[in-house]
Amino acid sequence: MNAEIVVIAEVAAEGRPAPVSLELIAFAKSLRRNAAEPIRVFLPGRGIGAAAAELARLPGVAVTGIEGESLASYSAEAWKEALAPLLAARKTRFICVSHNANGADFAPGLAVRLGAACITAVEAFRIEAEGPIFSRSILKGKLQMEIVPEAETAVVTLLPGAFRRGDAPSSPMDKARKDGTNTTQNETVLLPEEFRRKAIPPTGVTTLKEEKSEVQGDRAGPPAAEMISVPDIPLKTRPLGLLPAPDEAADLAAAEVIVSAGRGIGGEENIELLRRLASHFSRAAIGASRAVCDAGWLPCRYQIGQTGKTVSPRLYIACGISGALQHLAGMRGSQCIVAVNRDPQAAIFRVADVAVVEELVSFLPLLIAACRKHREGAAEAGR
Amino acid sequence: MKILVCIKQVPDAEAPIRIGADGRSFAVTGGAWRMNRFDEFAVEEALQIREAFPGTVVEALSVGPARAAAVLRRALSLGADEAIHILREGEEEPLPGEVAALIAAVVRDRGYDLILAGVMAEDDMQAQTGPMLAERLGLPCATAVVAETIPPNGMTIRVERELEGGLREALEMPLPALLSLQSGINRPRYPALSHVLRARTQPLMTVRAGDLPAPPRRERVVLLFLPAPAAKTLFLTGTPAEKAERLAELFREKALL
Repeated sequence: MNAEIVVIAEVAAEGRPAPVSLELIAFAKSLRRNAAEPIRVFLPGRGIGAAAAELARLPGVAVTGIEGESLASYSAEAWKEALAPLLAARKTRFICVSHNANGADFAPGLAVRLGAACITAVEAFRIEAEGPIFSRSILKGKLQMEIVPEAETAVVTLLPGAFRRGDAPSSPMDKARKDGTNTTQNETVLLPEEFRRKAIPPTGVTTLKEEKSEVQGDRAGPPAAEMISVPDIPLKTRPLGLLPAPDEAADLAAAEVIVSAGRGIGGEENIELLRRLASHFSRAAIGASRAVCDAGWLPCRYQIGQTGKTVSPRLYIACGISGALQHLAGMRGSQCIVAVNRDPQAAIFRVADVAVVEELVSFLPLLIAACRKHREGAAEAGR
Repeated sequence: MKILVCIKQVPDAEAPIRIGADGRSFAVTGGAWRMNRFDEFAVEEALQIREAFPGTVVEALSVGPARAAAVLRRALSLGADEAIHILREGEEEPLPGEVAALIAAVVRDRGYDLILAGVMAEDDMQAQTGPMLAERLGLPCATAVVAETIPPNGMTIRVERELEGGLREALEMPLPALLSLQSGINRPRYPALSHVLRARTQPLMTVRAGDLPAPPRRERVVLLFLPAPAAKTLFLTGTPAEKAERLAELFREKALL
């Protein structure tokens, strides 16, 4: 039997396949050694028939929906119980899981149960003769680690959105600079076409040969998802439901300019400097990294990042922010990113359009003064 | 109640970092090592549970070379009752699967009601050790926990996990259980003088990793590298005042001021 690649998909709130699962399928396809290597998508849940059928219409994948009463709400225990026996019975090279709140929760335990390798928060990979070499951030993005599995099966979690980096709108500040050069590290594999392909009717638009033949096979009718049910086993974990996010500050979503604070601002007392800078822009708001909210320097509603708000202002001024991926996930779509940090190695400088390596506490007063001068100059000219 | 807190010694991420000669390890200028920040929250949470449940014992555990004893002394100075050092020689960082197996071998029969860990280590950012340890011990597990309560009978634990976009998920598990804690769940305290004095002299329980069953090693770090600077990034040059002036001009050009 040919080794296969497995994708653990999930359903979004409205009963459709989660976008991260489509990203995962694209990732799985690019891991194949050849086009004949099968991709099997497992979709655990309750009432997931429609989502499984929708996934089954994607070219090049076989889909198994796993129905079960115990899968009505997510828990690591239920997911491991349902998936491990199915996966142990197969010869699988890679088990691809999204590195979101749920994937990161169950994947490491699943790997242990299967005796598999485990590589988490993968951002990119390159294919070598012996197989893919995965790349991931360490030390808040200061360094990249390249790592390979040394077991027959590997559980690999993919950082959501990591492959879409190249799709982010680039800064209008200098259009000349964006041409072909706005890639960051390791974009050996970029998958935007795969994302779009799902929306394209199966008329042979796809470029890969084997997918054409699969599409032609569709004439016999759309491929169906295989549905299996798991027995209702008693679980220790009892899900109690979802709780809404804490109160929302509308300011961040509406702001054209966000002045954002990281741990590097040094202390709560320096937030005032950021407020003074923000006051020079017409529609500005203050934001913060997780570390600042954790330290209590600003309330958690100010938090920008994967577990906070996602923003895309015209200008994002990152003050003392190291640039961990969790933060970048929430602000990468900003039209122009200015970063001020005293550490020239800080990861934030790799997404910034404009970088200033300076001590914040001494630099911000200079910047505030310069902004005041330019505003007054503008007011003079407009008179 | 008996609580175990798993802590890791990590390099200070703010310090300049360079890659070792083997290409697979990193070195910190000045040797600035500290307790993983996420684990500081775990230590604090354990101490708060001890305050709510008198008689509770809090033990800290770390896997690492001799230098890792410093984070165990730190945990003692914060108020942990005991500390266990799984002494693993060699500067090459162990992978999470190995660490989880070593910890499981030591703690399996020690009768913990609750095991706490940080959600991830700041250095390798794998977020694996906690859930892998739970799996090895057959414990229910929740990761990225931002709130927990234990009812007075001490039989169960109710937790809230952090999901995307600030959403939370609540669940209840019987004890014993393992939680990996997200940052911000509490405000870690500072060491008290009385604990600092005790921490200096209190013996650590040391177990040699070599005396434990060999842990599996199922991944291999090929290379560490510094990401190339982004070609699009414009680094401003000159004096601080000149940089400020240039930045203000850019804001002006974009009609933002």
